[in-house]
Amino acid sequence: MIEELVRWTGILAGGLWVTLQLVALAGVITVVLAVGIAIMSISQRALVRMVAQVYVDVFRSIPLLALLIFLYYVLGRYVAAIGLSAFALAAIGLALNEAAYVAEVYRAGLKSIPEQQWEAGASLGLGWGGVLRLIILPQALPPAIPVTLNMLIGLIKNSALASLIAVDEVSMKATILVSETFLPLEVFLLLAVMYLAIIIPLTMVTGRAEALVARRLGLAGPLRPEASRPAAAQREA
Amino acid sequence: MDIVLILLEGAVVTLKIAVGSWILSIVLGLLLGAIHDLGSGVARGIVHAVVTVLRSMPQLVVLYLLYFGIGAFGLNVPPTIAAVLALGVTDAAFTSEYYRAALMTVSPSQREAGASIGLSPFGVFRRVVLPQALPFAVPPILNSFISLLKVATLAAAVGSPEILYRAQSLMQVTGEITIVITIVIALYIGITVPLSRAVGVLERRIGASSRST
Repeated sequence: MIEELVRWTGILAGGLWVTLQLVALAGVITVVLAVGIAIMSISQRALVRMVAQVYVDVFRSIPLLALLIFLYYVLGRYVAAIGLSAFALAAIGLALNEAAYVAEVYRAGLKSIPEQQWEAGASLGLGWGGVLRLIILPQALPPAIPVTLNMLIGLIKNSALASLIAVDEVSMKATILVSETFLPLEVFLLLAVMYLAIIIPLTMVTGRAEALVARRLGLAGPLRPEASRPAAAQREA
Repeated sequence: MDIVLILLEGAVVTLKIAVGSWILSIVLGLLLGAIHDLGSGVARGIVHAVVTVLRSMPQLVVLYLLYFGIGAFGLNVPPTIAAVLALGVTDAAFTSEYYRAALMTVSPSQREAGASIGLSPFGVFRRVVLPQALPFAVPPILNSFISLLKVATLAAAVGSPEILYRAQSLMQVTGEITIVITIVIALYIGITVPLSRAVGVLERRIGASSRST
């Protein structure tokens, strides 16, 4: 029995490695997309803001599984020729979905920087892009760290769906193992333990990062009255 | 036209899964939230552990455990029921956090006032704290219904005849891959966007009314 368990763990660990690669690729695409959409959503042009809003609305409405099936069966027929695998399509699908949520949080981060900072930057002669790059983004970056870690947790959980479009990540490996051993309870419990072993430590790190960022921003309190007020108001309410 | 009808039949099953798991999540979440609020240190610890584990599990894995895992004991759980249970239980972990956050909005002096007029701890919870806290839990709980409406499509993975399952078999039978999946996606956008907007409006109303009092 122990030997069996070791064998299973080996097989699933191989799948877990694929899961992590999938999450890494999806994570990079998500951050790029989400930053782009967040910046678009604070643009001065109404049309650009609207495009960002439509993206968020649409991709928050589509079930991830439906999106993956769309990409795999519809887009997959055309892009197989240029070498996009199920793995790449899954990463794109996970990212398109996740970015819709992360962009909103990034946007809130950008919005939390007081309006006067934009004015101050403009008075120094900086353009909109210059203020964004040199003044706003550097300040918005630290609070974005815990959000981004949270995104990774979401991606790891969601990545299980990639098994349904033939990506041989850990859940797929588990279903194959079940069809071979006919021991679904045991195999899926092991699968659950493997997910927990990754996600729970990551949750703890995220909690730490959140506390750290809150403390740092708390110390900078007098400089950021707008940022600290809503939090206090919530606690009073 | 047949395609649309078959998909709508599937949508009804999807809706049932979403409603079923939502109710389960609301009830179980409140139970977890109440235990956390009223219970001893040990009870809190257990609730915290349960919530942490449930929040960390991919719903698909919980669904597999309930459907195939329990099936291994010879108990035949229908796929749709398994989906309701799996999605309801995992969502309850999140709902309990919404209740917890809502309960924290009630000032401790309210509890003291309740105790001082002779109410038991449960009486204080039920008659003083919960009625004041509930409005704050409403918007996130409504949002979780929208989320369940989407997550209900996971039931396709265990063969429940919901919308995505029907879509996949239609894709195989008719070969109209693009049309079928596009209808599903359009249906979801058409339903979810207005729903989310409505919840957003409600959220601002509740926020505004609580600030004015």
